[in-house]
Amino acid sequence: MSNDAVNQTRRRVLIGATCAVGAVGVVGAAVPFVGSWNPSARAKAAGAPVKYNISKIEPGAMVTVEWRGKPVFIVRRTQAALDSLKKVEEQGVLLDAGSNEPQQPDYAKNAERAINKEFAILLGVCTHLGCAPAFRPDVGAADLGGDKWQGGFFCPCHGSKYDLAGRVYVAVPAPLNLEVPPHRYESEFVVVIGEDQGA
Amino acid sequence: MNWLVGLWQWVDKRLPVQRAWDTHMAKYYAPKNFNFWYFFGVLSLLVLVNQLVTGIWLTMSYNPSSEGAFASVEYIMRDVDFGWLLRYMHSTGASAFFIVVYLHMFRGMMYGSYKAPRELVWIFGMTIYLVLMAEAFMGYVLPWGQMSYWGAQVIVSLFGAIPGIGEDLVQWIRGDYLISGITLNRFFALHVVALPIVLLALVVMHILALHEVGSNNPDGVEIKKNKDENGIPRDGVPFHPFYTVHDLVGITVFLFAFCFIMFFMPEMGGFFLEYANFEEANNLKTPLHIAPVWYFTPFYAVLRAVTMPIELGPMILTAKFLGFIAMAAAIAILFVLPWLDRSKVKSMRYRGHIPRVMLIAFAAMFVILGYLGVKAPTEGRTLLSQIATAFYFAYFVTMPVWTTTSPEKAKSKVSWALCGLFAVVFTWMGFEYVGGEVPLLLLIICFLLAAIFAVMPILAARDKDLVEPTRTQSKGLPTLVVLAGLALFIILAVVPIKAVASEGAFNCGAVPCDHMEPDLTDKESLQRGAKYFVNYCMGCHSAKYSRFERVADDLDIPHDLMEKNLIFGDQRIGQLMEIAMKPQQSKVWFGVVPPDLTLVARARSPEWIYTYLRNFYKDETRPWGVNNRVFPNVGMPHVLIGQQGLLECGAGPKINHHGGALRNDVGQVEMDEHCGALKEGKVKGSMSAAEFDVAVYDLVNFLEYLAEPIAVKRQAIGYYVLGFLIILFIFVYFLNREFWREIH
Repeated sequence: MSNDAVNQTRRRVLIGATCAVGAVGVVGAAVPFVGSWNPSARAKAAGAPVKYNISKIEPGAMVTVEWRGKPVFIVRRTQAALDSLKKVEEQGVLLDAGSNEPQQPDYAKNAERAINKEFAILLGVCTHLGCAPAFRPDVGAADLGGDKWQGGFFCPCHGSKYDLAGRVYVAVPAPLNLEVPPHRYESEFVVVIGEDQGA
Repeated sequence: MNWLVGLWQWVDKRLPVQRAWDTHMAKYYAPKNFNFWYFFGVLSLLVLVNQLVTGIWLTMSYNPSSEGAFASVEYIMRDVDFGWLLRYMHSTGASAFFIVVYLHMFRGMMYGSYKAPRELVWIFGMTIYLVLMAEAFMGYVLPWGQMSYWGAQVIVSLFGAIPGIGEDLVQWIRGDYLISGITLNRFFALHVVALPIVLLALVVMHILALHEVGSNNPDGVEIKKNKDENGIPRDGVPFHPFYTVHDLVGITVFLFAFCFIMFFMPEMGGFFLEYANFEEANNLKTPLHIAPVWYFTPFYAVLRAVTMPIELGPMILTAKFLGFIAMAAAIAILFVLPWLDRSKVKSMRYRGHIPRVMLIAFAAMFVILGYLGVKAPTEGRTLLSQIATAFYFAYFVTMPVWTTTSPEKAKSKVSWALCGLFAVVFTWMGFEYVGGEVPLLLLIICFLLAAIFAVMPILAARDKDLVEPTRTQSKGLPTLVVLAGLALFIILAVVPIKAVASEGAFNCGAVPCDHMEPDLTDKESLQRGAKYFVNYCMGCHSAKYSRFERVADDLDIPHDLMEKNLIFGDQRIGQLMEIAMKPQQSKVWFGVVPPDLTLVARARSPEWIYTYLRNFYKDETRPWGVNNRVFPNVGMPHVLIGQQGLLECGAGPKINHHGGALRNDVGQVEMDEHCGALKEGKVKGSMSAAEFDVAVYDLVNFLEYLAEPIAVKRQAIGYYVLGFLIILFIFVYFLNREFWREIH
């Protein structure tokens, strides 16, 4: 082998191999920079699951619980309210009556969108542009369609309407049902919002 | 591919990308004999990038207010994913920056890189150094620890030495009557926005100026004077690819050292992160011993070396003012170095004997000054700092004498005057200390220097530079020469330091510290320690930078157990370990607010706490009836009295400064009747002495964990990183060899 002739193959292999190892190093060095943008322990602690005792809620009333800085609506539905869900369905004004879109955990994918059908637990964030909808349980409210209105939620920002299970109406801007947050019942009346119901 | 080429041409017609690449990389011809010393330029660029990127990321979680700064740094260290790594990269990078910059500057002095036509390169470089010092100083204030605070206090007060406007100037800089959140805020703005912009601009100027005139080299040969028929320097190689692959080797080795420090000793024994800085700033309490970070200490030592005022008729220049002037002059004089060096020869390889010896002595004196700046002053150290300071200035002021090429000029009246001045200064300093408590060696050095400078003009007239070659010769000198130079440097630096090194005080108050080595992998010990901490310490002391959840997870304590047994009151597991006791109340009860203990093991040391907790003894004169041998007159009651019982003072051997028993002239152990040892008293504890030692060990072990919860993981990651760098080194080594095999 002559010293003068450059061995191009050997040189290319060495360049390629060094670049590959160097690329691994660059990716490794990027890990802390990318990783540090994840929620910190402080953010996670602030967003930790919230416990709430629901036994004190009056039938027909709603309370708002804060979880991860967002409002969670808990409505204690009366029998009449539960019956109204059927009526709204029959009116044929719901976009996703069967809750086919993944806007709820599997354990809440049923007609009432709840584990315990008496309690609707919904994330109070309109699926249109993120306003907090108002609770409008007043059946037959004149401003919301009169006799047809069976009670539900109305978003004042852009007029989206949901029923008492958080299902969105057709012909409103919101595209999806209200989200049901992960939650589980620790006991009959203590609900933990933010933790999934165990298997 | 075709459209890519088109796009490239479109851009290149409008922006000189290709031209810039050629000018600075592909057709920038650098001398082919760059050696080890030529890595430090690119390394300082690497560290600069590291500081910029990690700095940007740190500002994302840092809070520049006096209330939140310290806590936000601990938040970064504990709660932000990889925050500890970003912070250590930045703190280790700060020190690494100065290491590479000092070596880079020494390289310049050794090979005459400041000489014509590179004066501007040197001046831009010195300006970078100056801005870097301001940048580092302000950055060090941001963590808002005790050293941040008192360091800022001292440095800002320096400006108060300026006659007339001093006090107003200091107040203007602080923006307050003391160093406060207002000062912190403006330093933050300067540190993260203003100075980095200046620094970047200066770096660009430094490189542009360099690439205009071309690089110097170890032989000091101008390669542009010898070009081939194509106009390419015969002794040059294109920077890319030859020096890019070459620098990769140096970068990999540097990264190895950098990561080793960062992952295994991020405090670097208190030099990179000072222990006292793990305590939050307190404007009413100065730490016992304050010293700037190591990279400022040479100039700090110059400042302290000036102890004599000068009277000029009615005007008195105080030592404070003169010290300030000396420090400023020590930095300023570096700027004019290109005009002090009169020699025609650049590299030390072809200089006479005097410049070579003087340079090595200068480097040694700089290191000595750096060492002295860290240490508390004694009489011997003050003399040594004065000798070193005088030599520092003598080196530059007499440089024209021993670098001139004409024997007549070397022996001119001005030369005699300059050298004579320093001969007088050294003689006078020596006589001031004759009979004082200083090592004889220092006096000998002092008078020897006086003698050398007295005859310097004669020596200089006889000393001659060698003939400079016209072509580059070799990368390095023969090993023997290099080792001899290194040995001379080490002797000159270490011998005087050794002469003044004796230390008196113990690290643990009146007694030497007991040995204690934390074991952070012993989860059972840590769990027991956590239990003791919550039960016995957290009544009064918070650990407010740590979260219960983190402790539970790291120590394998199940959350429900933690909540049931170790969290009191209505605190939740995700919360910080705060306590209910109000600082105002505790101030009334104890006289002082019990300090937060999250970082106590880093601010003190595990050994200190271990010794402290076991050295309470009965003392009826104190409010709680107890005193402590490690922390005399401490305001804390003996919390573990139920376990240890109450020890009482008894006779024991006096202790010498090595920690051994002190013996009298006939070899008997001298006894301290008052409190030489602690004895079991009437109040007995529930534990035996051995059991109690284990319990305190567990508690201190937990405190060590609490001070840096990431420590174990940090080291584990460190092994992987170092392993990767070894693999990378193999590849870059062979790549470099591949490219350089045909260069002779």
